[in-house]
Amino acid sequence: MSSRLIMAKTKQSLSLITLLPEDVIIDILGRIPRCDYPTLSLVSKHFRSLVASRELYARRSLLGCTEHCLYVVLYNNEIGEGQWYILRRKANSNRRLVFIPLLPVMPYGGSFVAVGSRIHVFGGFNSKDIALSIDCRSHTVQTLPSMLVAMSDTIANIIDGRICVVGNYEWKKMMLVFNTETQIWESELINLEIELGYIRSRSVVMADKIYTRDYDYSFVYDPKKSKWERDEMLNSKKWKYACVVDDVLYYHDWHENEIRAYDPKQKCWSVTVRYGGKLVLFFNKVEEKTYEIWCAEISLEGRQGLKIWGQIQWCDQ
Amino acid sequence: MSKSEKKIVLKSLDNEAFEVEKAVALQSQTIWVMCEDKCVGNEIPLENVTGQILAKVIDYCKKHAVVDGDGDESSEELKNWDTEFTKNMDQSTLFNMILAANYLNIKSLLNLTCQAVADKTKTIDEFHTFLNIENNFTPEEEAQICQENLWAFDD
Repeated sequence: MSSRLIMAKTKQSLSLITLLPEDVIIDILGRIPRCDYPTLSLVSKHFRSLVASRELYARRSLLGCTEHCLYVVLYNNEIGEGQWYILRRKANSNRRLVFIPLLPVMPYGGSFVAVGSRIHVFGGFNSKDIALSIDCRSHTVQTLPSMLVAMSDTIANIIDGRICVVGNYEWKKMMLVFNTETQIWESELINLEIELGYIRSRSVVMADKIYTRDYDYSFVYDPKKSKWERDEMLNSKKWKYACVVDDVLYYHDWHENEIRAYDPKQKCWSVTVRYGGKLVLFFNKVEEKTYEIWCAEISLEGRQGLKIWGQIQWCDQ
Repeated sequence: MSKSEKKIVLKSLDNEAFEVEKAVALQSQTIWVMCEDKCVGNEIPLENVTGQILAKVIDYCKKHAVVDGDGDESSEELKNWDTEFTKNMDQSTLFNMILAANYLNIKSLLNLTCQAVADKTKTIDEFHTFLNIENNFTPEEEAQICQENLWAFDD
C-alpha cells in the first residue's frame, strides 16, 4: 500500500464531508423528500444552512424533485382567527393535518394565492390592507407592500404573474393588481362596474380567465379585454368551494352529493375531457360532541359519454 | 485504428492496472480531456481512485458503453442493472463511488450514486455515519429546531 493511500484513508476517517464538494452534497440533499428536511437540519449546523439555502431548492427544480404540499387554514369561529396546517402522510401511512406553529395566525376574511413555493395572503376583516407572503420552504413570512386601499370580502387569483384581488371598497366591488415579479401594486384601482354581491369561496381561474359568482350570477373576467361579463351556462349550477384541474372546474354538490365538472371550452357541465389531475376533497362529520375533518384524494380518469369517473385514492380522518 | 490504440490502461492509486476499451474509459470526461490533451501516453494514472473502486467504475462504464454495437441494451434493462449495481453497496463503497464519479466526471454515475445515497440515508444517525460527521448542536439549539418543525416530527 502506498503512503498516499494511507494518507487518503486517514483523511477520510477524520471527516468524509470535507472530501465531498458542496455541489455533490446539494445534489444528494435535493433528491431527498422535502418532509425529511427538518430531520436533516438536525444533522449538523452545516446541513441546517444547506437545507435553508436557495441553491438546494434551485437544484430540486433542476432535478425535477419538486413536491406538492397541501396547506390548510382552519378557523376558530369563536376567536375569528385561523391557524396553518399541512397535510402529511404519517408513519402508519395515514394522512393527517399537522399544525405548523411557526406560521402566524390568519385573520378571518383574507384570501390566498399559491405562487410557486409561496402563499400570498391578502386582506382580512380586521387588517384589510395587509399583504403577506409565506415561504413554504422555510415557513417564514414576509410583508408585501400594503394594498393601496383596504378591501373586505376579498378573492385573489393569479394570471400570468399578476394577482387580481377583488373586494369591497366604499360599497363598490373594486379590483387591485399585484405584480409578483416587480413586487409592486399597479397604481390603478379598477371599478368592476357590475352588480356583484358576496363572493368569498367562489372564484377560480380557468384558461387565463377569472370566474366568480355571488348568490345569483356567475361572472367571467378576461384580463386581455379588461372586462367583466356574465356567464349564463356556468351559472346554471350553484357552484362554490370549487377547484380547477386542467382548466376544468370541479365542485362538490352537497345537495345531490355529486362532484360536478364544468368545461369552459365546451360551455357545458359534466362533459368528457382529458383528465390526469387529482382532487382533494375535505368534508366534515359532526357526531354529538365531536367534529371530525375528513379528507379524500380522488384521481380523475377520462371516460366516454357524459359521465366523469374518478377513483378514490385514499380517505383519512 | 490498430487494436492497441483502441485500448487504454487505467492505473489506480494503489498501482492496480486495468486495460479497457477506449470507448469505455472515455465516458469519463476527465479521462477524455487527458486523452485530448495528449499529455498522457497509453497509461493514465488516476491518483484519487483505489483499485477496488476503479474496478466497479469500469464495470459501470462497460455496461453503459456502446462498443462495436455491443452493450446496446434497452433503457429498461440498463435501469434494472443500475438498481442492482448500487443495491448492495455498503455506505463506504457508495461514498467512494461518488468521489470517483465526481473526480472522473461521469455524470450518469454521479447521478446514480447520489440517488442511491438519498434513497438509503434516512435518519440523522445514518447521515452521521455516512459522512462521519458529528452533531454540533447544543441540546438547546436542537430543541429549538424541533419546536420550529413540530409538523415534521409529530408522528
